Amino acid sequence: MTREADVVQSLVDLADTLVADYDVVDLLTGLADRCVTILGAAAAGVMLASPSGDLRLVASSSETMRVLELFELQAEEGPCLDAFRTGERVEHEHLRAGSGRWPRFATVAIEAGFHSAFALPMRLRDTTIGALNLVSDQDTPMDEADALVARAFADLATISVIQQRAAAESQRVNEQLSHALNSRIVIEQAKGIVFERAGIDMAEAFSRLRNYARAHNLRLTDVAQATIDGTLEPHVSTDTPRTTRS
Amino acid sequence: MPSDRVPRILADLSAEDHGEWSSARLCEVARDVVGVSGAGVMLMSGEIPRGSLCTTNEVSNLIEELQYTLGEGPCMDAYDQNRVVVESDLADPGVPRWPAFTPQAVAAGVRAVFAFPLQVGAVRLGALDLYRDGPGALTDEQHGDAMVLADVIAQWVLDVQAQAPEGAVADQLEHDADFHYVVHNAAGVVSVQLGVSVTEALIRLRAYAFSHDRRLREVAEDVVARRLRF
Repeated sequence: MTREADVVQSLVDLADTLVADYDVVDLLTGLADRCVTILGAAAAGVMLASPSGDLRLVASSSETMRVLELFELQAEEGPCLDAFRTGERVEHEHLRAGSGRWPRFATVAIEAGFHSAFALPMRLRDTTIGALNLVSDQDTPMDEADALVARAFADLATISVIQQRAAAESQRVNEQLSHALNSRIVIEQAKGIVFERAGIDMAEAFSRLRNYARAHNLRLTDVAQATIDGTLEPHVSTDTPRTTRS
Repeated sequence: MPSDRVPRILADLSAEDHGEWSSARLCEVARDVVGVSGAGVMLMSGEIPRGSLCTTNEVSNLIEELQYTLGEGPCMDAYDQNRVVVESDLADPGVPRWPAFTPQAVAAGVRAVFAFPLQVGAVRLGALDLYRDGPGALTDEQHGDAMVLADVIAQWVLDVQAQAPEGAVADQLEHDADFHYVVHNAAGVVSVQLGVSVTEALIRLRAYAFSHDRRLREVAEDVVARRLRF
């Protein structure tokens, strides 16, 4: 395939992740690999911030890169970290051992055979979720045309990750709502049962359930469910034996 | 202009943090912005109708009650089929639907109904019910406004629930809502009276309401008031 066809295919693949389920690690590993095969980087690494704000390495195009990126995190200096912290592109840096912006990172990178680095934030408006690091074994900077494509890839991947996280969160809250409503229904049904068995009013029925729960250090919902299931000892409602169930 | 739509609607809602909104207010804004006689929001969860989050008047309340009792109606269809449901003249529909819901709704003064699904991405929460006391369709702009409001309400529901304590329904969702707890109280009562499961008791309550042409809630209230025994 021509390079243009490769780029188009990559954009299509990335866009697919906006409309269908996918795995984040797969997505970002694919991103790192594309930077190597299509854009001519020697290696690429992708980091994402954890919920607490610390960067974690999520994908690398090679084992060598993986080791370098882990070193970057440990040393707390390097292009990915800068791109993440500033939310801005980190311009191509010609690496010199022990000097420049990242003296220790540069030393280790050069040992690994990399001579320059370039990093992009993974950012959507005001939210930076991570960074993409591209290293080269050449001294020359990345072609601007390639840098633009890298940015398009990074932006799409960013939107995908953010969207997937939002969808997962919506799903979680919806399930929590469902669960809370179900618990409440169980309690209301149990109230009705106690009301009828004991011949008392609803408020008193509720008190009995709640007092039983407290006295036995149980959750109210569990006491209510056990009342419905008929597995609770009868004392909570009445001394008569439990009714048959169909 | 369509591009003004969202800011205009949000400005109508208020300048406060949206955690301060109430479902009653959201219902009223839906009614006023779209320009209908009344609005209601039906909440569905786990594929089960839970009741209404809010209604703006007696007739809207009736619309929600009927759907809850009968298990059919525009909101139910909008939720089940994931699409906007429009009936611009219930008294003379192109394709008759909702045979149990329609006569009672029309008798109460409902002529046109419009139901918009409430969803956030793939998460489906229920539907926004709008009605008019005269026949006629919504304009494109009104339709667009209603869709925006449905989105705003759906997101609001999730946002307030996200802040609720573990295991509880958010206060702001309970405040103006009718989740028909009395029906569940009655199911408990009837399960003891008949010696059946609460699930069976609910079925018996619904069957009674249907065969006596009464609202499920009213039957439940009679059971709980000990005016009716099974």
